[in-house]
Amino acid sequence: MNLLMQANLWANIPVGEHLAFFSPMITLVCTMLAIVACPIVLGRGSRTTAGIALLGIIATFILALRVLHATTTNGVSGLSTDPGAGLFIVDGLSAFFQVLLIIFLAGVTWLWWLGSSANERNAPEFFILLFGSALGMSMMVSSANLLMIVVAMETASLPSYAIVGFDKRDRLGAEASLKYMVFGAICAAIMLYGASLLYGLTGSLSVADIARFTVANLATGEHHLLLALGLLCFLVGIAFKVSAVPFHFWCPDAFQGAKIEVTTWLSVASKAAGLVLLLRLTMIFCSVVGSPADMSLIQPLAWTIAILAAVTCTVGNFSAYKQKSVKRMLAYSSIAHAGYMLMAVAVFAHPAVEGHQAGMVALLVYIVIYLFMNLGAFGVTAMIVWDTGNDDIKSFSGLMRRAPFLAVPMIICLVSLVGLPPLAGFIGKWWILLALGSLDSTLGWFLVIVAVLNTLISLYYYMRVVVQMTLRDEGDPAVQSPFGGLALVNICALMLLILFFRAHPLKTTTDRFARTLNVASLTTPSPDNAVASRFIEAD
Amino acid sequence: MLPDDFLTYLTIGLTHYLVVGAVLFVTGLFTMMTKRNAIGILIGVELVLNSAGVNLVAFDRYMAPGRVDGQIMTLFVIVIAAAEAAIAVGICINLYKNLATVDVDSARKLQG
Repeated sequence: MNLLMQANLWANIPVGEHLAFFSPMITLVCTMLAIVACPIVLGRGSRTTAGIALLGIIATFILALRVLHATTTNGVSGLSTDPGAGLFIVDGLSAFFQVLLIIFLAGVTWLWWLGSSANERNAPEFFILLFGSALGMSMMVSSANLLMIVVAMETASLPSYAIVGFDKRDRLGAEASLKYMVFGAICAAIMLYGASLLYGLTGSLSVADIARFTVANLATGEHHLLLALGLLCFLVGIAFKVSAVPFHFWCPDAFQGAKIEVTTWLSVASKAAGLVLLLRLTMIFCSVVGSPADMSLIQPLAWTIAILAAVTCTVGNFSAYKQKSVKRMLAYSSIAHAGYMLMAVAVFAHPAVEGHQAGMVALLVYIVIYLFMNLGAFGVTAMIVWDTGNDDIKSFSGLMRRAPFLAVPMIICLVSLVGLPPLAGFIGKWWILLALGSLDSTLGWFLVIVAVLNTLISLYYYMRVVVQMTLRDEGDPAVQSPFGGLALVNICALMLLILFFRAHPLKTTTDRFARTLNVASLTTPSPDNAVASRFIEAD
Repeated sequence: MLPDDFLTYLTIGLTHYLVVGAVLFVTGLFTMMTKRNAIGILIGVELVLNSAGVNLVAFDRYMAPGRVDGQIMTLFVIVIAAAEAAIAVGICINLYKNLATVDVDSARKLQG
């Protein structure tokens, strides 16, 4: 019987319109293969490789936009209607994230082209690793199954370890990649142990089944120790990805030791992917709760994330204080921002409640804004590093005179990172605070207070850089920077202004994608072996 | 004298596998925490990964008979462990070339 089922499954492998939903990921893989083949046919030059990478990025971007369009017009799409299986989910959330990821990938490739392409002898390897981690991240946001989540996270992590220590003669890079890899391997192993416990308790790898089991367990009032252990162990892996305290130790070291374009890539893409994954998991937990009145059952989970968020935010901001290296300071700032974004994830709302997607919209808007803030700030830092050879805060002194077109975007990005108006960072924080406030619970107000206090704390160390750029001047020579780099950072700064004054379109757009999140289909109890049964019915 | 239900203890059941898994997990965790050698830490990681593998197969056999999810996941765990070891050893060799040691305590240039 079992064999027969599998035979049927093979005979009915989805093709055509289903595969179209995976076209962005397939294109990423094809680009990687093309870059592997390229040295044989066209040579290993930076120019050739970057050309192929650019073609791949454009193709992926167009296809990702098409998938995004398909998910918003047709509602829930093809494969995602499989109840409970959730091995691969294509919906507004995953498609939206993929589009963002590709935009960011283009920005990072641009930075690499400006800074490293001239002296880089291993360009094909660099792009294979970069695209490999991008593939893993886009898989992370499209799965609700423990197996797929684990595989996706490893696909994202393994190339990241290697790319951090990409320059073989760089001692700092070697050290950074070792620390990143050791931390990552430990967290992944603990996460897998947690996954095995969850599988043992529920007999299923589907997150929906695990959520149902958890809610039923909490409803009967018996607090299953093994279940809590499994969930916590699993959370360790995700917390590592978003660099939540106390799993953040890799973050400053890896960010400081890596090349700056790699740092830029990891600071946004890897964290955002982890956050969107966590958001999807919490949404599934919320949607399996019977009625809005029962939401208090999963409050322990919300509090776990809330405390993680509060601690991450505070530790990140306090550690950023004493940093002399701007790269390292931005690393701690990215930890703090991961904390703010975790706060948006901690907004648990039942799908039946009006306005339940507030937390989700806030997170997506924040990720969009955070992308531009970080790309801008790291872009300016990159150009200082290329010109002066170090990223010490002293190299920024007198930047207003030495390079006004770098200093102004840097100020805009830093003020936006603090979250002050009239810049987009304010909008991002404002909507997270609104979402928290709309909960009107102890948890919500607790996080609001933590977020506001942290914003005040963070003001100091961001302003330290601004003061260094404007008020201190030690007579250093003017900074020579490529025109392309100036364009990149100024576009980012401009985007931050535009997004503040034209914030509403962004919100309505993300809101529309949020509504297509495929939660409804996951709430229906899954029959045993959902995928196989679906294919048998099709016969 | 042996206890009456001695034979039931001898029959290998789920608990035995879980105990093996838990022992592997704790040993691995202990190794990861105490070893200062990067390769030693990796051995600890492999132990923990294998404890997950043992658990998955055991749970699959006893808790969810007829389904193969756990066994498939174990195969993936093995592949992940292999991939991770490949990358990790590469990074260790790179560290050795630069610092002439794989002691994680010697990697202390990045701090603060």
